[in-house]
Amino acid sequence: MDAATTPLGRVTIAREAIAQIVGRTAAECYGVVGMKARGLRRRGLTQGVAVSTADGGGLKIDLHVVVEYGLNLAEVGNSIRARVLYEVERLTQLPVAAVEVHIDDVRQS
Amino acid sequence: MTVRGLAAGALAALESAERRINDLNVYPVPDGDTGTNLKLTVRGIVEALDASEATGRAELAREVTRAALMAARGNSGVILSQMIRGAAESLAETDDVAAALRSASDAAYRAVRTPVEGTMLTVIRETAEAAERLEQPTLPELVRAAEESVERTPEQLAVLREAGVVDAGGAGLAEILRGLTAHLTGEPLPEPPAYEEEIGLDAVHQELSRFRYCTTVLVEGDGLDAAELERELEPLGDCLLVVGDPAALKIHVHTDDPGAVLALATARGILESVEIANMHRQTVEREERLADALAAEKTCEAVAVVSGAGNRRLFESLGAGQLIDGGRTMNPATQEILDAIERAPAPEAIVLPNNPNVIMSAEQAARHASKPVRVIPTRSLQEGLAALVAYDSSRSAEANMADIFDALESVGTGAVVVSSRDAEPDGVPVRKGEWLGLVDGEAVVAAEDFEEAARAVLERLLEEPRDVVTLLAGEGAPPLGELQSWLEEEHPDVEVEVEDGGQPNYALLLSAE
Repeated sequence: MDAATTPLGRVTIAREAIAQIVGRTAAECYGVVGMKARGLRRRGLTQGVAVSTADGGGLKIDLHVVVEYGLNLAEVGNSIRARVLYEVERLTQLPVAAVEVHIDDVRQS
Repeated sequence: MTVRGLAAGALAALESAERRINDLNVYPVPDGDTGTNLKLTVRGIVEALDASEATGRAELAREVTRAALMAARGNSGVILSQMIRGAAESLAETDDVAAALRSASDAAYRAVRTPVEGTMLTVIRETAEAAERLEQPTLPELVRAAEESVERTPEQLAVLREAGVVDAGGAGLAEILRGLTAHLTGEPLPEPPAYEEEIGLDAVHQELSRFRYCTTVLVEGDGLDAAELERELEPLGDCLLVVGDPAALKIHVHTDDPGAVLALATARGILESVEIANMHRQTVEREERLADALAAEKTCEAVAVVSGAGNRRLFESLGAGQLIDGGRTMNPATQEILDAIERAPAPEAIVLPNNPNVIMSAEQAARHASKPVRVIPTRSLQEGLAALVAYDSSRSAEANMADIFDALESVGTGAVVVSSRDAEPDGVPVRKGEWLGLVDGEAVVAAEDFEEAARAVLERLLEEPRDVVTLLAGEGAPPLGELQSWLEEEHPDVEVEVEDGGQPNYALLLSAE
């Protein structure tokens, strides 16, 4: 659980919930045609998403994505990182230390 | 007419509209760079064409595609590059404008899993549809279609509606079409549509508001005082904005009490348009739409033989629709498997026996089934889980089998059990009551201490480079905290997942991939 402290008390947000936000956001990012499952990461929205705590505090988010063949991978990766960072901070108010986008595969659809 | 000339026309239009487009940018991230990104992308194409010696149609199409790919900047630039790829593919073959727009639209939609409407995607699609409808479309007609599509974007994308803007990428696309048209007709660029007055609301409420109602009111009167009204509205909510002139003010506020806002406005003048939207419902609806899209109909059901309550939950969460209780011995009857296959609502099925002794009965059941069935010869619960990670219910049993075989190749499995007798399996002497460690079904270690046996199994599994280790705790398993800490210390790069599997007989099941 990660907590945001407010004058009225603490709000805790489960990792799973954050992973859901990340998964939903990633699916809408341009160029993303799939997520790459690792281990037993739940299928569906959180497939290919790992949320952990960074060394110096803050959230560390790892995404494993499959990108459409023929796109500029560097730009796609940057856009995903910016969008995920923005959405997670906006929706959880938790500080995000790092968003690591791993393009594990490209696919020609 | 040259391709370079067309690109230069598009660039000129984007350069003159850059700031306006930047100001519109609230989606996907409100960083105000959409206009700049589109300009830089198109500029890269112009520069590549300046250096190009291509002459043939097909060759030019390839060069433009490549230049767009290399020059693509930002999210909008990437989408544009994909549209250019689609259009170029079509234009290499034919002059048909409608076909080129259709090809651009199809290519753009192909490259995203969940297309978001109310964006550049919508604008290219609706422009292509207009071109198809008009039969012999003139370029100005297409520009008009694109601009109308841009104006509708706030109806489709809530974040635009809330910010009071049209989509920046869509507006950029309309500019590009205007630039192309101006170059082809030789006429100067017509005035851009006046979106400016809408931009006032800005990105002030990109934060998810803690208030429920997005309330906008247009109030008309004499000598209206925006600052005073702002002070009075302030305590009622957040994301407050009051803009306009003494004759007409537009109020925008997120509040739990829209009535109080209306009362304040009514006291000042005449209400013109009032809009109250339940933002929480909008968020919920969006999430429901996403969930619905994901729950598409199944082509292939996964039938699995499972033991242990925790494992049942794991198999279910990974998408197995029909579970057969393997019981303590993991030995269900062929009829039970057949019944599960027939019960599955999908037209095809895969079966995961999850035990070497069940594979035969599963194959027998598959032969008698009334639908196409493939048996994946999984020899353990861990293999079954790894198979499900690769399983896709929307694909056929045959297609699934190929993917799953690939996935299983990279999975190593292990187990730690109490030996029920003195024996020497695979040359490892073990006494009754001692812990026996197995890797891929073969005995590798015997020890009095659980920790020692488990570590030996893990060391064997981690001889190959691995990303993830999964531990499934069985019925009556010793606590795994110490083993986990040891793993984190010795193998810090490996991600560890611990699940309460609850399987009988096997105190610990392990998998590594």
